[in-house]
Amino acid sequence: MVGGSAVEPRFDELIHPSTRLSIVALLAATDWADFAFVRDRLEMSDSALSKQFTTLEEAGYVTVDRHLENQRRRVRVALTADGRKAFDGHVAALQSVLAGNPAGTQAVG
Amino acid sequence: MEVPIDEREAQFALGVVEQQRQQVIGEIGVPEWYWLFLAVGWVGIGAVAQWGPAWATSVATLLFGAAHATIAPRVISGRHGSSQLSVRSDLVSRRMPAMILGFVAVMAGLTVAFALLLNADGARHAGFAAGVIVGMLVFVGGPSLVAVIRRSERW
Repeated sequence: MVGGSAVEPRFDELIHPSTRLSIVALLAATDWADFAFVRDRLEMSDSALSKQFTTLEEAGYVTVDRHLENQRRRVRVALTADGRKAFDGHVAALQSVLAGNPAGTQAVG
Repeated sequence: MEVPIDEREAQFALGVVEQQRQQVIGEIGVPEWYWLFLAVGWVGIGAVAQWGPAWATSVATLLFGAAHATIAPRVISGRHGSSQLSVRSDLVSRRMPAMILGFVAVMAGLTVAFALLLNADGARHAGFAAGVIVGMLVFVGGPSLVAVIRRSERW
């Protein structure tokens, strides 16, 4: 189940586009994930995914950690507390639309 | 500001969210090396029990138990089946660690039962044979158990 009942519904224009929603939803189910994992699961190119991460990072929704591990460069991505809050609020907003009650839902972005 | 989507689009978006959640649930697991470690340990203790002195069996069992107690808490949660991500704890069954430890305990009991049965049947290397049989069961059965637990999360 996603989006707890106590979450305030907030439609988020930044998260809503399908590609970005997929990225954020994938990250929301993890503590962190490798860039390569997200890229492979969503079948995106490195450059397209980097562009999306830059947008999300600028919004304060994700952190991107680049480090060396066993002489290999690894990029680890995680949702921030703000990103998780925005995602939960967005899911709650989607659910309220389905429930036929979008009136109490705020829209941001 | 009004929400700029209709029910159909909201349904589609929630489908996307659920699809990604299922992708991550698919990654819940225990690393293969954990089962290999258990299987090798099982066969090793079986060999020591068969050909070594009694004190060596006790020492080997204690060492194996200590190594397992160090390793298991890091891996049997099921959140680190892949080195590429860490699954959120609320997505993983809380029963997973208990079920894995229960499985290991059952396998330990099965080893003793096999060894006694084989010994009663006149087998020459009953202790070692029991270790090999159960070691193989652990290596094959462990991942299957995790897969069953994982499937129970896909509701």
